[in-house]
Amino acid sequence: MPVIIHADKCNGCHGSNNPPCIRMCPGDLLMKDSKTGKILMRDPAECWDCLPCVKVCPQEAIEFRLSYQLGFHTARLLPHIHDTRDFITWELIDTKGDIDKFTIRTKILPVELDEKVEGVAPVDFSI
Amino acid sequence: MEQNIIETDILIIGGGTAGCLAAVEVRERFPNLSVTIMEKAHIDRSGCLAGGMNAINAYLNPGETPESFVKYVRFDSCGLIREDLVLSMSELFEYCVKKVEKWGLPILCDEKGNYIPRGRWNIKINGESLKPIIAKAAKNAGTKVLNWVVASNYLVVDGRVVGAVGFSVRNGNMFVVKAKATIIATGGAAGVYKPNNAHDAQHKTWYCPYNTGAGYAMGIRAGAEMTSFEMRYIGLRVKDTIAPTGTIALGVGAPQINSKGEKFMATKYAHIGGDGAPTPYRSHGPLQEIKEGRGPVYLDTRHITSQQARDLKSAFLDMYPSMVLYWAANEIDPSKEPVEVQTTEPYIVGGHTQSGYWVDVNRKTTLEGLYAAGDVAGGAPYKFVSGCWAEGVIAAKQAGEYAQKNDFTEIPASLVHKEQDRAFAPLLSFTNKKDGIKAYDMEVRLQKIMEEYAGGAATYYEINEERLLVARRRLATLPDQFKHIIAEDLHELMKAHEVIDRVYVAQTLVEHMLYRKETRWPGYCTRTDYTERDDEKWLNFVNSRRDPDTGNIEMLTRPYVQIVPGDRYKPR
Ligand SMILES: Cc1cc2nc3c(=O)[nH]c(=O)nc-3n(C[C@H](O)[C@H](O)[C@H](O)COP(=O)(O)OP(=O)(O)OC[C@H]3O[C@@H](n4cnc5c(N)ncnc54)[C@H](O)[C@@H]3O)c2cc1C
Ligand code: SF4
Ligand code: SF4
Repeated sequence: MPVIIHADKCNGCHGSNNPPCIRMCPGDLLMKDSKTGKILMRDPAECWDCLPCVKVCPQEAIEFRLSYQLGFHTARLLPHIHDTRDFITWELIDTKGDIDKFTIRTKILPVELDEKVEGVAPVDFSI
Repeated sequence: MEQNIIETDILIIGGGTAGCLAAVEVRERFPNLSVTIMEKAHIDRSGCLAGGMNAINAYLNPGETPESFVKYVRFDSCGLIREDLVLSMSELFEYCVKKVEKWGLPILCDEKGNYIPRGRWNIKINGESLKPIIAKAAKNAGTKVLNWVVASNYLVVDGRVVGAVGFSVRNGNMFVVKAKATIIATGGAAGVYKPNNAHDAQHKTWYCPYNTGAGYAMGIRAGAEMTSFEMRYIGLRVKDTIAPTGTIALGVGAPQINSKGEKFMATKYAHIGGDGAPTPYRSHGPLQEIKEGRGPVYLDTRHITSQQARDLKSAFLDMYPSMVLYWAANEIDPSKEPVEVQTTEPYIVGGHTQSGYWVDVNRKTTLEGLYAAGDVAGGAPYKFVSGCWAEGVIAAKQAGEYAQKNDFTEIPASLVHKEQDRAFAPLLSFTNKKDGIKAYDMEVRLQKIMEEYAGGAATYYEINEERLLVARRRLATLPDQFKHIIAEDLHELMKAHEVIDRVYVAQTLVEHMLYRKETRWPGYCTRTDYTERDDEKWLNFVNSRRDPDTGNIEMLTRPYVQIVPGDRYKPR
C-alpha cells in the first residue's frame, strides 16, 4: 500500500479537475472520484514510491507507506514543506514511535490548484 | 475521438531531463522556432527525476578534463565506448550545471564557494525539486507542453521523421504533431525483465517504471539503427528498496563484504581496481559471492559515525525517501550494521550503459530529421543527469539548424489513420469483444520469457546461445498476440502500449545478446559459452536495424575509434 489518501483531509483542492497530486504523479496513478470529489489511487502495485504527490498536497492528505513486505507497521515518513518553500522537514517515526527529524534545503516552486488539459473534452472515451 | 493537429518547428518527445534542457536550448538559440514537448505524464514531475536527485554524477571536478573523463568512462565500460560522444558531452557539463544552478537548484558548496565533490566525478546537490525547476525553465522559455500525451509512433514520410502521433490519457484525444525536426528523449526501459519485488511492490524498481522503452520501440519500428542493447544495466542496489548505492559507497566510502566479512572486491578484483573496479564488475563480483555460497553481500558502513548516518539519510531523502523509511521500519541503523545489497532487474539505459540509438556526434540518428538525447541515445555511457542535459543541448542545436533549412512535409492521411487504428485498437477490442489479454498479463508473460531464457536474475543473468534461441522463438509469438490486448480505459491503453513497446525492445535485445560472442561486460552480459573478452574480434559496436516492411532484424558491427590515447583498461 505505497500511498494512502486520507479522505478526511483531502478537500479536492476546491473542485479542481487536475489538482497538484494528480499532476505530479509520473505514473498517472491518482484520479478523482467523480462522486466524492476526493482522490483515489488507481493501483497501489503501480506506485514507484517517489513521493511527489505526498510533498505537493497542501492539506498533507496523502501519506506514503512502504508495502508491508518491505517494512513493519507503523513506521512513517512525513514531509512538511516550510512556508518559505526553501526547506523541507522530514518527520521519521520508527516502529516504536520514536521520532527523528531532518531539515533539508530545497527550492519548492509554487503550484496552481488546477490546470487545463490540452485537447477537446471527449463525449465518450470509447471510439 | 477528437483529433488535434499541431504544427511545431521542433517536437521533443519526452519532457524529462534531456527534453527540458533541449527545449530551453532551442528557444534560446533560435527564438524564431517554436517548440512542443509531448510528455506522457506531466513535465513538473515526470521520469527519472520525479523523486529528486542528490548528486550530479558526471562533472569535471578540479583537475579533471574531458580527456581524463573519457579515459575513466572507457575503463568503466571495459574498453569500448564512443569517445567522440563522451568527449562532446563532457565539454558541456559545466555549461549545463551552471545553467540549472541559475534556475534555482541548490548545489552544496564549501566555505570558499566551491562545489563539494563526492568521488571523482560527482558533486552534491539538494535536488529534491530538480524536476520542477527544469520544467519551469522549459515553460518559461515559451515551450508548448502537451502533458499526458503518450507518443505511440513517428510519422515517417520518405524516410524522414516529420513528427509523431500520440494519444491523451486524460481525454482520449489523438495528437498529430507535424514537425520540421524531432528530438527523442523518452529515457530507457524498465520492466523488460521480472522486477526485483512482487505484488504491491512490483514497481519498487530503481529505474523509473514509467520509462518503458517507447523511444527505442518507435525507432525500432521505423527502422532506426540501434547500438549495444546487449550492454544491459544491472546495478548494485540496496536490498529490497533497490535504492542507488553510490550515495553510500561514494558518500561514506563503504567497501563490499561477503557473509564472512571478506572484502572480496579488494582482494579478488585488485588487478582491476578493487572496490573501484568497472561498474559491471561491481555487480559481477557480489553475484559470484552469492552464487558460491558466501552471501548475503553488504556494503560495510559500520565505521561511520552517527552524524554520517544522519547525513546519509538526508542524502537519500533528497532522492529516494523510501530508503530512510525502510531503515526505520526494519530497525536498521547503518552505522551499526552493514547495508545488504542485491543486483537489479536488467534495465536498458543508455545513460548508465550505452544501449540506444546509433547517433553521430551531433546526436542525429540514422533517420533523417530525428535526433536523440539522454538515456534513449546509445554509445555514451556514464551520462547521468548532466550528460543527459548535455545531449539535450547538442541535439537542440542540431535539430534547430535542421529546422531552419527544412520545411514541413505533407502527411498522407492514410499514415495517420493507420496509426490511429493501431494506437486505439486495445480500447476497441474491449468494446467489441470484452474477452482478451490485459496489458499486465502480457507484461508477466514477457518478463517470464526474459527472466528464464534471456539472462534474468534467477540464472545470475547468465546467457548462452541455446537459451537465447528459446527466448527468440517465444518472443516471436507475442506480436501476433497484440490484437488480443484489451484496455478498459485510457490508463490501460497507456499500459497496453508500454508492454507492446517493451516487446520490441526485448526482441532487439535478444538479437544483440546472441550476436556478441564474447563476455566483455561480466555481470551485464555474461555468456557461459563465450566466457572471455575478445578484443581481436569484438572490439566493435554491435548494431541492429529492423526492416519496417518485413520485421526482420539485421545485425551489423561498427568499428570502435580511439581518440584519447592511453591504455583502454586503465582509469587514468
Ligand atoms: C532513482 C534514480 C536515481 C538517480 N540518481 C542520480 C543522481 O543522483 N545523479 C545523477 O546524475 N543521475 C542519477 N540518475 C540517472 C539520471 O536520473 C538519468 O540518467 C536521467 O535522468 C535520464 O534522463 P532522460 O531525459 O533520458 O530520461 P527522463 O528524465 O526519465 O525523461 C524521460 C521522459 O520521457 C517521458 N516519456 C516516456 N515515454 C514516453 C512516451 N511514450 N510519450 C511521451 N513521453 C514519454 C517520461 O515520462 C519522462 O518524462 C538516477 C536515476 C534514477 C532512476
Ligand atoms: S492535492 Fe491533496 S487536497 Fe488536493 S486533491 Fe490532491 S489529495 Fe486532495
Ligand atoms: S508516490 Fe509517486 S508513483 Fe506513487 S502515487 Fe505518489 S507520485 Fe505517483
